[in-house]
Amino acid sequence: MNTFLSRLNTIFAFTLSVMAALTFGCFLSTAFKENKTAVDIGTTKAVVKNVPNFAASTRDRNDLGQIAFDLHTELSSLFNWNTKQLFLYLTAEYETKSNKLNQVVLWDKIIRRGETTKLDFKSMNTKYYFFDDGNGLKGNQNVTLTLSWNVIPNAGTLPRIQGEGSYIIQFPDEYKQ
Amino acid sequence: MLKLFKSWTTHMDYKGQKLAEQLFQAIIILFAVVGFIWGYMCEQFVQTMYVLGAGFVLSCILTLPPWPMYRRSPIEWLKPRPEENSEDISKDKDKKQIKKKSKSK
Repeated sequence: MNTFLSRLNTIFAFTLSVMAALTFGCFLSTAFKENKTAVDIGTTKAVVKNVPNFAASTRDRNDLGQIAFDLHTELSSLFNWNTKQLFLYLTAEYETKSNKLNQVVLWDKIIRRGETTKLDFKSMNTKYYFFDDGNGLKGNQNVTLTLSWNVIPNAGTLPRIQGEGSYIIQFPDEYKQ
Repeated sequence: MLKLFKSWTTHMDYKGQKLAEQLFQAIIILFAVVGFIWGYMCEQFVQTMYVLGAGFVLSCILTLPPWPMYRRSPIEWLKPRPEENSEDISKDKDKKQIKKKSKSK
């Protein structure tokens, strides 16, 4: 503390320590939030095609689901002073003969701080192909659509949360040509 | 240029150092608490960081330069003792005298 530089060093180090403590306090103040909210999902179209899957190594014909979905939700309750952005993703979950659990992400969206948190989509197309790895989609009566999200914080953990509300797609028994 | 920097004295006396340390700690902690509450109220963590930064700048201004308030109680050194009391010093003195003599020759 006797010279200019030693004082600068001490003040800077002390400020950094206090900054770390503040950040930890910010994390603690939001660590126990549930980050859950209700989501309304529906579909306006659900057809299944049998086409070659060019993404797979074999050129077999696999089931391709094509859906258009409605999504309605209000996510402002997920934003607080420790939220940088939200990553939303729409997942289809179903069971086939070959796999007990299949999960396919069909659509996603990033909501940054300050952007609109009220989502109201009608007949949205999916972003990603809904390919099954076999023929498990035709006539599948129990394909569950759910919206989940990651809350990306300023400091703390990266929780993965499933929205409250789901929709069950029933695919037709015939392939669409 | 470097000599000019080195010629500036930035020291504080001991009481001044203690005062400076207490002062910047108090300022930064005060700004941190206020900033935490302010950031929580307006839901912006960046505001907390800005307030803390303001505290940092203020404490730098107040405690980095050796303001006169940090030099109020300079150390009082003992007065130098008379040289005759110490043998070593007198020996040195003898040497010096010898040197002087040799030079004069």
